[in-house]
Amino acid sequence: MAPKLSEIFPESCLLIVVGVVIGVILVHVTGSVHMSPLTPDTFFIYMLPPIILDAGYFMPNRLFFDHLGTILLFAVIGTIFNTFAIGASLWAVGQTGMFQCGETPPLDMFLFAALISAVDPVAVLAVFEEIHVNEILYIVVFGESLLNDAVTVVLYHMFEAYTEMKDTGIVTMDVVAGCTNFFVVAVGGTVIGIFWGMATGFVTRFTNEVRVIEPIFIFVMAYMAYLCAEIFHMSGILAITFCGITMKNYVEGNISHKSHTTIKYTMKMLSSSSETIIFMFLGVATVNKLHMWNTWFVVLTILFCSIYRAIGVILLTAVANKFRLNQLSKVEKFVMSYGGLRGAVAFALVLLIDEEIVPLQPMFMTTTIAVVYFTVFFQGITIKPLVKILNVKTAEKRKPTMNERIHEKLMDHLMAGVEDILGQHGNYHVRDRFKRFDNKYIRPFLLRNYQGAEPKILETYSKLAMRDAMEFMRRNASTIGNISGTESMSGIFKNYTAGNLDGSTSFSQLDSSNWNVDMQELEYNPSKKDLTDAKIHHLLAEELCQPKRHRRLSYSRHAVNDRDLSTQVNYKMHYNMRRMVGDSKRHHHKRHSKKLQKDGKQNHVSFPEFQQNGTAKQFSHDYISQVLSEEEVPDPKANKEEWDSPITFTAKSSPSDEAHMSTGTEGSGSVHFGLLLGIKRYKSTAAENYMPWRQDKTKCNVTDDSIYSDGMKRTSRGSIDESTRVTTPTATETMLPWKRDDEDECSAPLQQCEFPAWASNKEYLAYNSPSATFLGGLENNRSSVIGLFRRDSAASGHISSCESSPQKERRGSSGPNAIILIEEDVADPLGVLTRQLTAPTTSHPPLTPNLRRQIRRGSMLEISGITRNSIPEETLNRRASWLPPPPKSSRTPRVKIKRQRTVSSSTTLMSSSSSSESSIEEEDADIQSLMKAGF
Amino acid sequence: MGNRSSLLLREEEIAQIQQETGFTPNQIERLYSRFTSLDRGDCGTLSRDDFLRIPELAINPLGERIVNSFFQGDMYNDRVNFRQFMNVLAHFRPVKKNKDNRLNSREAKLKFAFKMYDLDNDDLISRDELLAILHMMVGANISEEQLTSIAERTILEADEDGDQMISFEEFCKALQRTDVEQKMSIRFLN
Repeated sequence: MAPKLSEIFPESCLLIVVGVVIGVILVHVTGSVHMSPLTPDTFFIYMLPPIILDAGYFMPNRLFFDHLGTILLFAVIGTIFNTFAIGASLWAVGQTGMFQCGETPPLDMFLFAALISAVDPVAVLAVFEEIHVNEILYIVVFGESLLNDAVTVVLYHMFEAYTEMKDTGIVTMDVVAGCTNFFVVAVGGTVIGIFWGMATGFVTRFTNEVRVIEPIFIFVMAYMAYLCAEIFHMSGILAITFCGITMKNYVEGNISHKSHTTIKYTMKMLSSSSETIIFMFLGVATVNKLHMWNTWFVVLTILFCSIYRAIGVILLTAVANKFRLNQLSKVEKFVMSYGGLRGAVAFALVLLIDEEIVPLQPMFMTTTIAVVYFTVFFQGITIKPLVKILNVKTAEKRKPTMNERIHEKLMDHLMAGVEDILGQHGNYHVRDRFKRFDNKYIRPFLLRNYQGAEPKILETYSKLAMRDAMEFMRRNASTIGNISGTESMSGIFKNYTAGNLDGSTSFSQLDSSNWNVDMQELEYNPSKKDLTDAKIHHLLAEELCQPKRHRRLSYSRHAVNDRDLSTQVNYKMHYNMRRMVGDSKRHHHKRHSKKLQKDGKQNHVSFPEFQQNGTAKQFSHDYISQVLSEEEVPDPKANKEEWDSPITFTAKSSPSDEAHMSTGTEGSGSVHFGLLLGIKRYKSTAAENYMPWRQDKTKCNVTDDSIYSDGMKRTSRGSIDESTRVTTPTATETMLPWKRDDEDECSAPLQQCEFPAWASNKEYLAYNSPSATFLGGLENNRSSVIGLFRRDSAASGHISSCESSPQKERRGSSGPNAIILIEEDVADPLGVLTRQLTAPTTSHPPLTPNLRRQIRRGSMLEISGITRNSIPEETLNRRASWLPPPPKSSRTPRVKIKRQRTVSSSTTLMSSSSSSESSIEEEDADIQSLMKAGF
Repeated sequence: MGNRSSLLLREEEIAQIQQETGFTPNQIERLYSRFTSLDRGDCGTLSRDDFLRIPELAINPLGERIVNSFFQGDMYNDRVNFRQFMNVLAHFRPVKKNKDNRLNSREAKLKFAFKMYDLDNDDLISRDELLAILHMMVGANISEEQLTSIAERTILEADEDGDQMISFEEFCKALQRTDVEQKMSIRFLN
């Protein structure tokens, strides 16, 4: 019974019935004289805006603007025509005395006609959403109902004003003023709406750090647009409609995926609750004792409304069809006239009429309610079967496929081009113009990640890729073994991930990109071996996924236990490697330059102390080159140069050490490498001098790095997996430096290269519990590393003369330099830092109570040693350039670097590292998603 | 200019073009005046440069392709005369029921769009051809990889016979639900 009822009756009818029932009960139980919860104020200020905002925000823009001409024709001319025709007819009938209600002054009739002739957006929405007519029909009727608000408001206020001053007489001036008023109200409302829409876009550009407030901005600013327009007596409905239409274009590009979902559902929820309340209150308000039923007036009003609506539609479509490409057919005309529903707006407006001035107000109110009931009940109920009988083209809801999107874009461009050739300035021409303007001037300012000319293509693509990913996961969750057949899919995922890593907002569904990471390696290296490795990896990932999440939750506060710590190193190391690998282009050259050096280039310096690290070197070379080998390196030349400059810098920055550096020409230790990285990173932290703890972390990473590279090729490889799975022990650590580099500079290549390297590792198979292996290895080698540092520090600590050495030497010098201060100068370097940077750089956090801590500490110290040494040098060199640290400005490190290289290589490092620093936040999401994925 | 052009166009030519393309005489004269105004050299034919001199067309991302589509006659030539010009434009006439829609049928329109992609005229859209178009439309702000993956995804979606190309049939099928008749029509002024 129930489902049938809702099939026959539109929701709005049922709600009104419920409202009436409630009203009747209330009147009889409480005996209250007047139950009218639906006052015009509540209606216009609280209930209408959400509905209109919903309508505007989810308005199909393209469709709307394609048919804007027709819509405006109906909204403006149609409504005016209706008003005057109905008003005149009612007045004419009134002159015959048929209504028997005394005087029927023409102005009162026009006032009533003004409010009764407007098609109501709420009612239209309620009905049309259910009948699913084709989109053109829908947009024409619905657009009309939205845009005629300006006309209604103006006409209403005009006639209201005229009625009030009918004693003084209306001069021509008033009529002219009324007409201009219309343009002011309509244009003013639109402008206010567009302004607020743009403002919203602009604000959301900066909310990437606080995603939580994104939805709030959307709602509040749209509401501000509405209130703003109402304050100035502009059309609030137009304002909020255009606010929604405008903001959608830009906001959607800025907000996160979650915010998007939040906005969508909140908006739908608000609007449907408003709608529900409006219809129910309408029902409740029906039950009162102020009615003044006048059968003839009611019947004639309904009759005139219907007739003139039909006449208006027929006349206006005839006009519109002259200019339209696709003609509105007879059936469509019928649906359009039949769909001219009246609703709550009219009711609210009629309540606004002052009975003192218009004595017929009760009759008007009763008639309005009658008309609303008639349209909502009679037309609302019958329109659905009629649409079926008349075989109106109905719309199927679907998402565009990639092909459709692209080919339709092509057609748009094609048609714009053809119009240009023809010299006609039609729709396509105008849209093309606007798009060019938009892309050139507006989007770059309102979008955080300006994505190029066709955001829709990307959007569609990301949505489809997302869907594919979901589907794939759902289908294949249990059958992970069958991966080999899905290379095309994995290609999709790979690219999808690439999109994510580019930081494009349209791909902002970072959290859902978990899968991709696995998948891409398949595509990446589709040899058989890799596939098998990947399968195993999958199995592991799936198994280990749950525990990992658990652990992560448990850490999210300060709880740190030993077990966590034991894994922490691996984790860090992993990310350190990750960062190394992904550290943007610079790292790519690293590889290059390294290779160069390996080939016996002069750049290459080493010193005896480090020669014992030969294996480590070897390994890190191997590892890195392996990892990077498949990456495409954009602009290798520039990269090389970039890489070279850091080298120079490290040398320069350590004046104290240059003296003691040896002139070895063989095999730069991987430790150097790590340290170099560390320095870089450390620089960035220094530049950001407000986050002392980050420095420590960096140091830790460096240590890990060096440990890692310390002759433990196999174990460490195995441990990568372990470390991926393991999450950070503390909440703060999740935002720590290893994430720093990825987002900004490492885009897709990072992810791609990382996993294949791992997956293709044969030895991994041998290590079923990588952590144990790794740790065991660590134990063995730790002492040697520390010893190494000690020796270095002893050797280099006292040598601090500053003679400039050639580049080749400098490079090598960084290693010892870094190690100088291992255990002696803890406080001192930090003190230096503090003084120099005017920010407290605290010592390492008490992370590791056990042995590991020592190591880390050592590394920290060594880094701080570096800083101490490097910073003075920098200040000497180019203090002004870096002392006011440029933390977030350098989004384009390469450019900067090029410029600065000539001046000072140290600043180069600064800029590059700070750029990487700036992207920490973004990386967080990335990393977290990784961790979630079970790596 | 309009007068002169209509003078230059003889009655039988108009009749012939009308018969070929379905344009009304008024439209033909109007388009002829446009044609002559584009024809800077007054030689009765248009070169590619004549087209690209239209400022909007020059900045249209697909401008060159669009112009190129005017030059796809039976043989390779670098100038179009008015009849060829009209024949191309006839593709964009709105589809009218109960009338002969030879040049402006849905299929003809689709074919025209298809030819925009198909540079090498092999009746297949390859990945590279699609990528080239994407490049033009999307511009430089997107990484090559992303574009490539979009192209691959698109082909994958439309490709039915597994040859990594989009044939015309696959193209039509992919656009089955698109209102091509409307999207690829222009209201020619009288």
